Amino acid sequence: MSGNVLLLLPMILPFIFGLIIGFQKEEKQRNTLVFIAMAVEAALVWYLCMGDHAAVLWTLTDRLSIAYHTDGLAKFFACLISTIWLIVAVFSMEYIKHEKNPSRFFMFYTFSLAALMSLCFSENMMTLYLSYEFMTVLTVPLVIHAGTPEAVSAGLKYLGYSIFGAGLGLMGFFFLNTYCDTTSFIAGGTLNMALIEGRENMMLIVFFLMILGFGCKAGMFPLHAWLPTAHPVAPSPASAVLSGIITKGGVIAIIRVTYYLFGADFLRGSWAQMAVLTLSVITIFMGSMLAYKEKHLKRRLAYSTVSNVSYVVFGLMLLCPAGFMGALLQVVFHAVAKNILFLCAGAIIYKAHKTMVADLVGIGKEMPVVMWTFTIAALSLIGIPPTAGFVSKWYLAQGGLMPEMGAIGFIGVAVLMVSALLTAGYLMSIVMKGFFPGKSFDYASLKVKEPNYLMTVPLVLLAAAVVGMGILPAPLLDVIGGISGMIF
Amino acid sequence: MNMTLAFLVFFPMIGALIGYLIGRKNKSARDYWAMAVTLATFLGALSLVGKDAVLSIPAFCGIGLSFHGDGLRITLATLASFIWFMTTVFSKEYFAHYRNRNRYYFFMLMTLGATLGVFLSADFYTTFIFFEVMSFTSFVLVIQEETDHAVRAAQTYLAVAVIGGLVTLMGLFMMYQMAGTLNFDELAIFCHDLEDKKDFYFVGVLTLVGFGAKAGLFPLHIWLPEAHPVAPAPASALLSCILTKSGVFGMLVLSTKIFIHDAQWGMMILALGVTTMVLGAVLAVFSINLKRTLACSSLSQIGFIATAIGMQGLLGHHNALAAEGTILHLANHSLLKLTLFMSAGVVYMNLHKLDLNEIRGWGRDKKLLKFIFLMGVLGITGVPLWNGYISKTLIHESIVEYIHILADAGQSTTLFTIIEWLFLFSGGLTVAYMTKLFVAVFMEKNPYPETLHGHDHGPYMNKLSSVVLLISALILPVIGMLPYNTQNVLAEFCLDFMGAHPPDHAVHYFIWINLKGAVISIAIGAAVYFLFIRQVLMVKDANGNKVYVDRWPEWFSIENKIYRPLLLSGLPFVGGFFARLAGSLTDGLISILRMLIFNDDNGRVVPPEDKYFSAYTDFEADHEMYREGFATSLLLIGIGLTIATVYIMI
Repeated sequence: MSGNVLLLLPMILPFIFGLIIGFQKEEKQRNTLVFIAMAVEAALVWYLCMGDHAAVLWTLTDRLSIAYHTDGLAKFFACLISTIWLIVAVFSMEYIKHEKNPSRFFMFYTFSLAALMSLCFSENMMTLYLSYEFMTVLTVPLVIHAGTPEAVSAGLKYLGYSIFGAGLGLMGFFFLNTYCDTTSFIAGGTLNMALIEGRENMMLIVFFLMILGFGCKAGMFPLHAWLPTAHPVAPSPASAVLSGIITKGGVIAIIRVTYYLFGADFLRGSWAQMAVLTLSVITIFMGSMLAYKEKHLKRRLAYSTVSNVSYVVFGLMLLCPAGFMGALLQVVFHAVAKNILFLCAGAIIYKAHKTMVADLVGIGKEMPVVMWTFTIAALSLIGIPPTAGFVSKWYLAQGGLMPEMGAIGFIGVAVLMVSALLTAGYLMSIVMKGFFPGKSFDYASLKVKEPNYLMTVPLVLLAAAVVGMGILPAPLLDVIGGISGMIF
Repeated sequence: MNMTLAFLVFFPMIGALIGYLIGRKNKSARDYWAMAVTLATFLGALSLVGKDAVLSIPAFCGIGLSFHGDGLRITLATLASFIWFMTTVFSKEYFAHYRNRNRYYFFMLMTLGATLGVFLSADFYTTFIFFEVMSFTSFVLVIQEETDHAVRAAQTYLAVAVIGGLVTLMGLFMMYQMAGTLNFDELAIFCHDLEDKKDFYFVGVLTLVGFGAKAGLFPLHIWLPEAHPVAPAPASALLSCILTKSGVFGMLVLSTKIFIHDAQWGMMILALGVTTMVLGAVLAVFSINLKRTLACSSLSQIGFIATAIGMQGLLGHHNALAAEGTILHLANHSLLKLTLFMSAGVVYMNLHKLDLNEIRGWGRDKKLLKFIFLMGVLGITGVPLWNGYISKTLIHESIVEYIHILADAGQSTTLFTIIEWLFLFSGGLTVAYMTKLFVAVFMEKNPYPETLHGHDHGPYMNKLSSVVLLISALILPVIGMLPYNTQNVLAEFCLDFMGAHPPDHAVHYFIWINLKGAVISIAIGAAVYFLFIRQVLMVKDANGNKVYVDRWPEWFSIENKIYRPLLLSGLPFVGGFFARLAGSLTDGLISILRMLIFNDDNGRVVPPEDKYFSAYTDFEADHEMYREGFATSLLLIGIGLTIATVYIMI
């Protein structure tokens, strides 16, 4: 063990807290404890991200070690994830009342945060791979929480897909271990060009398979199928973080592989870049289209995630600063907006016991605050200014339309537009039916079913963030600009 | 930096929020608050007249906003806030018995801020941001009544707005990529220096789509005749007077700043404009619904404006008449439709009906309303001494001027002679359908007077509303009779934006050569009214009374025959098919593999030989067994790991 021990705390603390929380039967105590755990964790992460730290937990050989650091990308994701984890935790306190085994839920919820922090701060590929697997394993209990046969089979599907994807990633690491100067993540890539001389094509195949594997977590075609199965069965707060955050675990891995191991220069203009771009464009369209056709609210949102996370992959694979900027903005904005949507879905299930889109007529009259936040999140996903989604789409499109991207870039941007239209179709229809139930709506029997502040405050905070970040994205742009300045 | 510009855009939005909060406590106070907000905005806009105000808010939404209040933009902002104020005052009485009023006021004020944001913008980024906000907030105004018709119309409106907005956004993406700026003036320079404009035309057309849709240009006009009649009258007035003009503003920027004096671009706009002009007028003649006729009339008048914009491009440097005609017809149409839609609102407020057969004769004994409506009719039909005549004459003159230019150059003038006649013909149809409305509502006797019993007894409109309507109506003849002191001044004020110079010689409006156009139009109108409307569009019913019938073939609707089937079933089916194919590809492969390897037991994977493979079996006994087995395995793994770790660490 060496370096700043403080940097190990974000990984260790949640485990300790989780174990304690797991044995708290008293609801009030448990909630207090969960809140303290999440708040301490978030504060710690934000504090750590103020400075530069590095720590090594354990060294096996000089190339294999479990090591952490706080580079720009790590800070970016760690702050985002720990903050949202805190907000969703507050929401869960109320929601979990209608599920069994709340202690177990919070235990694994807390554990998962440790895995995610480990993933964010990981300094080399071994650490990344281990954290990635940990993340998968620790989130499976969240998926199968309800214990119903569907939940269990969905959990297994999730597990199967994720492990398969991670396996592809691991295989890639074996190759990279040989062909890289170091296994640490270095901005700009660490490929040893002398070694891969004449083996470029093999390395591109490796790259493609790795992205395919890690793309599984990000819901990228063809390994997206776990997502619409697993998200709807999980308790809503869990689906919110699965959709908003865990999918971004795949994105972290993709960024690390693309920009910190292979390097953008090696990949630019290669068939592998085109192939991944094509896959992401297919996913964008497929996800939105299936969401448009879907009638179950949470499954619709899950398909929407499939589509939206591929915006990120599309932006990353453009391998240019504008695309990168758009991708990371989309990471933040989608995380926030999708969390809102899933939490709203949760609030609707919790208070109005409705899961199908068709039943949501007049829901805006019953739960105005919830549906207002839903609307704002929906507008952001479509990309209507001044909500945040517009800004990320702007940068993605600027990246996609770069003359050197050629046809695929143009098609990609056009598909982004079609997807935005479909998003309007599948989200605004809910808003419209919810707020404007029509003349036949029975106002007499209308009962306001607004949930209590534990649910509404997180929603309102997130919604305010969506608008706030849309109007003033400058600080975020600076942070991302700093990261992209390092890697390009 | 001029903070008044920021005030104009953001104050109504803040006012909307405050008004919403007030409205939860006191409805009447909220109404007065809304009037105060719109009045303050109007005065703010008025205070900028004659100034050249600039404001930029960097980093807003990423790139930053920039506003520029020059002649045209201030004029539009003043016009918009004036009309907003008038309708807001009128709303108090109109909405007295409505549900969800707080919602209406909130979105109405939000829309005001957004619309002013569009009108005052100095770059397309700003335009687009406020344009989108405006589309969504005004959607609520359309759906306000929540009847089946309203919901359907609002869907159409939103769909057109979203699709148009996205296409425009695509255009803006490409424009920014090519030019590196979205500022109007810089784009104009960029476009001027461009050698091969082919790609840029494509970008321009994409950008035009959203604005054209909002303006109601063919073929994206479908939302307009649907949405205007179902919205509450004050909202239809806003939609027709101002919101469509935000689309026209976008067209103006494209046509008179970026593609300035560009004949090809002008020809395209002209073609769209003429089509819309004729189509709208024909639809209006057939319509038998008061507000629908007015809506179709808006369509037609927007066509007149677009025709003028197109002529600006064709005439190039000699386009002063067309430019003046554009801006004056824009302003006149807004003022006219304000009067007309509010009058229609008075009818609806009393009867809750709009069908001409049902409201027929209701206004016979209502002298004030008759006078007010008559002013609007005379204005919009282009009768000399009323305001519409001036702008129509200017547009007509610009077409005639172009015919002269073509003749001088020895080129064929056939096409433009046809356009001139289409122009006069549309003017004639305007006369016909406005006469139809006026005669039906204010002159004829209703054969079934029982349909005329309103809900309210007492005066048909209160003092406040009468004053508002009367002022709106009196403006029309005043500026029509004093064109040199009013309209000409306004036009010259705006010419700079469109890159036009004042005309070489003043136009004499009241000489025979100019009056001739109006006379021809009125003659055509009279012929159409007496020979077509009274003969073909009215039939005798069972009791022998002549009634209005809707003879527009129902199957002939682009919306129902093309757009809806295509967008709601056709494309989603094709897209859904491929998406499902892709979506189930992996799962399909897996289930094929599973079929080969495993038995499928209740949706779970169970190897044929080992029923304890899965921890989650249904039998209680298995649970126990498995739990023990699992625990032991975990323990062993734990011990193994510990030993390994200790070994490595030592």
